[in-house]
Amino acid sequence: MTATAPSYPTVAPIEPPALLLDGITKTYRSKAGAVDALRGVTYQFARGSFTAVMGPSGSGKSTLLQCAAGLDQPTNGTVVLNGAPLGGLSEVELTKLRRAEMGFVFQAYNLLPSLTVYDNVALPLRLTGRRPSRSDVHRVLEQVGLEGKAKRRPAELSGGQQQRVAIARALITKPSVFFADEPTGALDSGTSRQILGLLREATDRAGQTVVMVTHDPVAAAYAERVLFLSDGLLAGHLDRATPAQIAASMSDLER
Amino acid sequence: MFYLSRQTVSRHRSLYAGSFVALAVGVFLLGLAATATAATIAYKGPASSIISVMTLGGDGAEPRRMNVPMSGEDVSGLQVVLSMVGTISGFITIFVIASTFAFAVASRRRELGLLRLVGATPRRVRRMVLGEALVVAVAASLTGAVLAQLATPLLLRKASYSELAPVKLEPAAPWIPLAIAVAAGLLVAMLGARSAARRAGRVGPIDALRESALEGSRIGPVRIIFGLLFMAGAITMLTLIRPATGDGAVPLAMFAPMVMVIGLTLLAPLIVPLVGRLWALPLVAWTRVSGRLARSNVVAAPRRTASLAAPILAISAIAGSIVLSLSIAADTAGAQIRDAVKAPIVVTGGADVSRFPGVETVDAGLPLQLVRIDRDDAQLEDAEGIDPVMATRTRDLVALSGDLRGLTGNTVAVSKEMSGFENYRVGDEVPVTFLDRTSVKLRVVAIVKDAFGVNPSLLLPLDLVRAHAPKAVPDRQFVVPAANVDPAPLVTRLPNAQLATRWEADQADGVRKGNQLGLILLLGPAGFYSAIAIANTLLMGSLQRRREFVTSRLLGATPAQIRRMVLWESSLVGAVALSLGTAITITVGVLIRHAMTAGLIDVPLTVPWGVLLGIAGLCLILAIGSALAPTAYILRRSEPSAAVD
Repeated sequence: MTATAPSYPTVAPIEPPALLLDGITKTYRSKAGAVDALRGVTYQFARGSFTAVMGPSGSGKSTLLQCAAGLDQPTNGTVVLNGAPLGGLSEVELTKLRRAEMGFVFQAYNLLPSLTVYDNVALPLRLTGRRPSRSDVHRVLEQVGLEGKAKRRPAELSGGQQQRVAIARALITKPSVFFADEPTGALDSGTSRQILGLLREATDRAGQTVVMVTHDPVAAAYAERVLFLSDGLLAGHLDRATPAQIAASMSDLER
Repeated sequence: MFYLSRQTVSRHRSLYAGSFVALAVGVFLLGLAATATAATIAYKGPASSIISVMTLGGDGAEPRRMNVPMSGEDVSGLQVVLSMVGTISGFITIFVIASTFAFAVASRRRELGLLRLVGATPRRVRRMVLGEALVVAVAASLTGAVLAQLATPLLLRKASYSELAPVKLEPAAPWIPLAIAVAAGLLVAMLGARSAARRAGRVGPIDALRESALEGSRIGPVRIIFGLLFMAGAITMLTLIRPATGDGAVPLAMFAPMVMVIGLTLLAPLIVPLVGRLWALPLVAWTRVSGRLARSNVVAAPRRTASLAAPILAISAIAGSIVLSLSIAADTAGAQIRDAVKAPIVVTGGADVSRFPGVETVDAGLPLQLVRIDRDDAQLEDAEGIDPVMATRTRDLVALSGDLRGLTGNTVAVSKEMSGFENYRVGDEVPVTFLDRTSVKLRVVAIVKDAFGVNPSLLLPLDLVRAHAPKAVPDRQFVVPAANVDPAPLVTRLPNAQLATRWEADQADGVRKGNQLGLILLLGPAGFYSAIAIANTLLMGSLQRRREFVTSRLLGATPAQIRRMVLWESSLVGAVALSLGTAITITVGVLIRHAMTAGLIDVPLTVPWGVLLGIAGLCLILAIGSALAPTAYILRRSEPSAAVD
């Protein structure tokens, strides 16, 4: 394991990027008319990078995340994960790809309330048909600082602990890409730091790629690069920025 | 994956307790019908009262020996009722189970979406929901079967020596009937769970991220087409099958609403918001906020509303249709009897009144029973020996073909209805065996107009009946007074005499009373089951909403406001279901009346308002009560601050 600085430039020279968005548009049609949530986004997320996506409300950042994760179909354009395009995959193929390659952490912790912490974390492995090894589950629990809480149920944990269970659940399958949507949205600043630290660790230690949507400049500052999204288009980026710089750019966008 | 099913079943106890109760009671009723049927099959009448005949055979049917019970002491009446009870219970069970499972899936959209998000394939989610259904179904079916076995002796004691089974019934071996009931329960649960599972499989991973757990109300064109087909099918059934008597009308009044209920349920996501909006108009006008909230809850989640409304819709449509149709059948029977009797006086019993002064014509027909044999069956039939000269004077006895004057010797006149069923024509021979065990062939001399309640389907010469049933006495005689004799004073002088109008009214009342027992037997268990199902679904619905109630409290709603909202909401659900049930009842009633009264004029219409309104009221009270009770409980037990966790 190398503890060197994050790799630059963003485009890795030989191997394909972890995630490639090529000309993504997304139009929602409803009775009230069509709404263009994304109007052509092209970007490459390099392997092992930690990218924050920011933008005002309605800028399309959640839609971007959902299209990138194959949760939603883009209207136009292609999403390529580790060199393999997602378009044309069946729901089952997408599911299998998702559980092998992607991890999810959302604002609502999204744990199954009926399962214990242990079972929640082991669930993705069970779903792939593998029998989870006890030591694997306990190792990721330890990694997120929840040793000794394996038998609890989500309702008995604090918000920060629940979010760490969600991260442990995402870690256990060793996904190549983490998708995080406002992972610290409901947490206090101390707990937020721990959660962001865990995501940061995933990129630094295991070379996993993190794509995080947030509106919080402090959280975004944990990322190497902050992408700004406005009206469904990329509106610029900041590298290794401080929360103050990020906040300034945000208020420029919102003006 | 089964472990997940087990875990979720215990987590969603209130959802699955509902399905469990619904299915256990359904299997209990099915099991009871099955064990009782087994007891009737096991029943063997005394050997002396059985006539053994050979069927004719031909047209692919082999001649076979049949033992026909000679007296009315058989159990076929009970068997018919039991099979109908089984059918209604089975239908309502599958219906309720399907809607409870659909409801359970709808309430768990986010959780299912989450499973999809962490890597469950649609197939896996489908199998999980089916697995859960299986856990519940096995437990519920076994419980229902045990309860049925315990209750069987009780039912048989009640059924023995009743009008339907005037014999002593003993419990038979329970294994086969209970196995059938359990298998039916499992099958029903799996069928009911199938569509819910399919819908669960369609929940996308993105649903885990949506805040609102509401499901869209849009339904596919296939579903709309099927819904319309079911409606059209029921209406076609009602217009093509033209029942002439109550016996014919009951199965129709049972099946037609079932088919329509299925049709309406398929169309529910389209229809429910419309009807809901309509009923909500006065609510919104009268109340400040609770009515408005209730409207949006009912209209915005049509699938949920439809699930809650389903049991009310089913029972109100079926019970309403049967009650109304039987009343119409009784009205029709009254009119048919009225039209069939021309004589102004009816004497009950066999007293000879021909010698009384003022009496001109006495039509003293002799009733008897005989076994009529056809190609593949032999049945005990009611027949009457008549003097055609007398009978044509006192009754509306008209030969549609053939000639009644030929009714002498080994001959028979057949009613139009039976000639239609059995394809008898004038000149055909009908083999019969009298109860004195002589077999003869009767030549058909005439096909006569139907006169239900007055003439049986087979009319024989009086002398033939006297020869084979020497002890027969008339049970009623039609009397025509001499020309200028007033019937009213004459009635007072004759023994057991009544004016024909009075007798006709009594006969119609008798039909109505006879129907009542059948109604209670048919609708009693179904009503009991539906009551449980209605309470069950509404209870489930309210228990699921703890969070919503608590959040509303946080927003400043007083407990009374929330209770009012739930009150209006459950009233709305009830009103929507009952309007659809009423629409079905009216459709069935109008069409059945139209069919039954064809060719009759001046048929009175008795609408059993009391019973119909009673059914509606009971449904409404149950719905509101079982929605309010858990709401009050939740509100007492939780503080607004609970919304935060």
